[in-house]
Amino acid sequence: MDLAALAVALRGVTVELTDADAGPAIGSGVVWAPELVVTNAHVVPGSHPRVRRADGGMARGRVVTRDRQADLALLHVPELGLPVATVGSAAELRVGSLLVAVGHPFGIRGALTTGIVHALDSRGRASRSWIQGDLRLGPGNSGGPLADARGRVVGINAMIVGGLALAIPASEVTRFVQAAG
Amino acid sequence: MDRLLALSNDLEAAVQQASRAVLAVHARPRVPSTGVHWRPGLVVTASHTVRADEGLTLTRPDGRSVAGVLVGRDPARDLAVLRIEAADVPVAELGDSGSVRVGHVVLALGAGPRASWGVVSAIGAGRPAGAEGALFGLDLTLYAGFSGGPLVDGQGRVVGISTSGLSRQMQLAIPAAAVNVVLDELVRHGRISQGYLGVGTQPVRVPEAMRQQLGLAQELALIVVDVQPESPAAAGLLLGDLILSLDGHAITDPVELRRLLRAERIGQRITARVVRGGQPRDVELTVGERPARPR
Repeated sequence: MDLAALAVALRGVTVELTDADAGPAIGSGVVWAPELVVTNAHVVPGSHPRVRRADGGMARGRVVTRDRQADLALLHVPELGLPVATVGSAAELRVGSLLVAVGHPFGIRGALTTGIVHALDSRGRASRSWIQGDLRLGPGNSGGPLADARGRVVGINAMIVGGLALAIPASEVTRFVQAAG
Repeated sequence: MDRLLALSNDLEAAVQQASRAVLAVHARPRVPSTGVHWRPGLVVTASHTVRADEGLTLTRPDGRSVAGVLVGRDPARDLAVLRIEAADVPVAELGDSGSVRVGHVVLALGAGPRASWGVVSAIGAGRPAGAEGALFGLDLTLYAGFSGGPLVDGQGRVVGISTSGLSRQMQLAIPAAAVNVVLDELVRHGRISQGYLGVGTQPVRVPEAMRQQLGLAQELALIVVDVQPESPAAAGLLLGDLILSLDGHAITDPVELRRLLRAERIGQRITARVVRGGQPRDVELTVGERPARPR
């Protein structure tokens, strides 16, 4: 797969979350399972976020569960009609592994960003492991996918600290989704 | 094989290969910097990150601590050399820094390892080139603690030492060839010797009438604004002298003056063409050696 093909595939499983039908993106989300979208808890303050697909179509979502500590939220979006992301494992990453992110930083829809794994030691909040990316993300990437060189989603982009992109590993996201039933 | 995957694998391998010779350098408060095991028992790091001269410790790639002794430093190129006892820590595999081109993909590493990637964005960045090659300008992020760490090519070979200490605007790297020269000199003498006259100068515009009278092509010259007591300059130069040239080389910038005073000129006679009281004259001087400066 080349980068352009990878971008198309990743964009296809990435949605925009907005406050209003015509409003700008306040964050991104990933189709984790049929009709189920994962994003960051801080991206969905309300209970019925609006979801915009890459083709511009809008859908109404409902927050199924939200964990502010983990900064994850699970949305049920009926009639979403999007493919499900291929989920990979952050455990296979090494320092230097290629990373690819898609999101809507500063309102730019479906922006592609590339970088590498910066470090594997945990950093920031103690007892949590983050994927640390040498990757230039912006507000609006939050909740969006971070993928490896095969296009498999290995994490959910959550924050930027000191220029580094921090993402929640896919295994943690899967546990959160399974716990939600 | 998939090209993206191949690139990813290459970058992982380059990090793994190069980081075997990378140490953390604890020589300043808070954030440690990075050093490279350059030759057996000798670690190169960035001089601005070595704030103490004694009691230095380093962390090896395996996490063990090792004591470091400062061999010497070159503040002008922001390099310092530390001696360690760590025969089992591999020495960096050096690449040919002369074959680095603008656009080459490179990695900057910090101890840990931590990594950052980008491209070489300029060669000859920041300051005039020395004989050992021009500095590399980097389009990548040097994160906190990366200074003194290796700049690594796509094959995991070290082609320079990266630092944020040489320029406020740009991330730079000192090419491996230049590091070798500095290291040799520091190991031999413990410091970098530099020719010295003992003058403070300022570039000024040469008045048009004076240029015509003296038949000068140059528009700028250096006015002497300080003469260090008992320096080589004190034997012949006066405050207010206008330095036009040294041994026939026109001087229009204090950096050119410094460049002409290379270490090999120490002890040699040099003729300064100056204008004093409106009259041109030649002044004979003997190039001295720059005294060791307190940091």
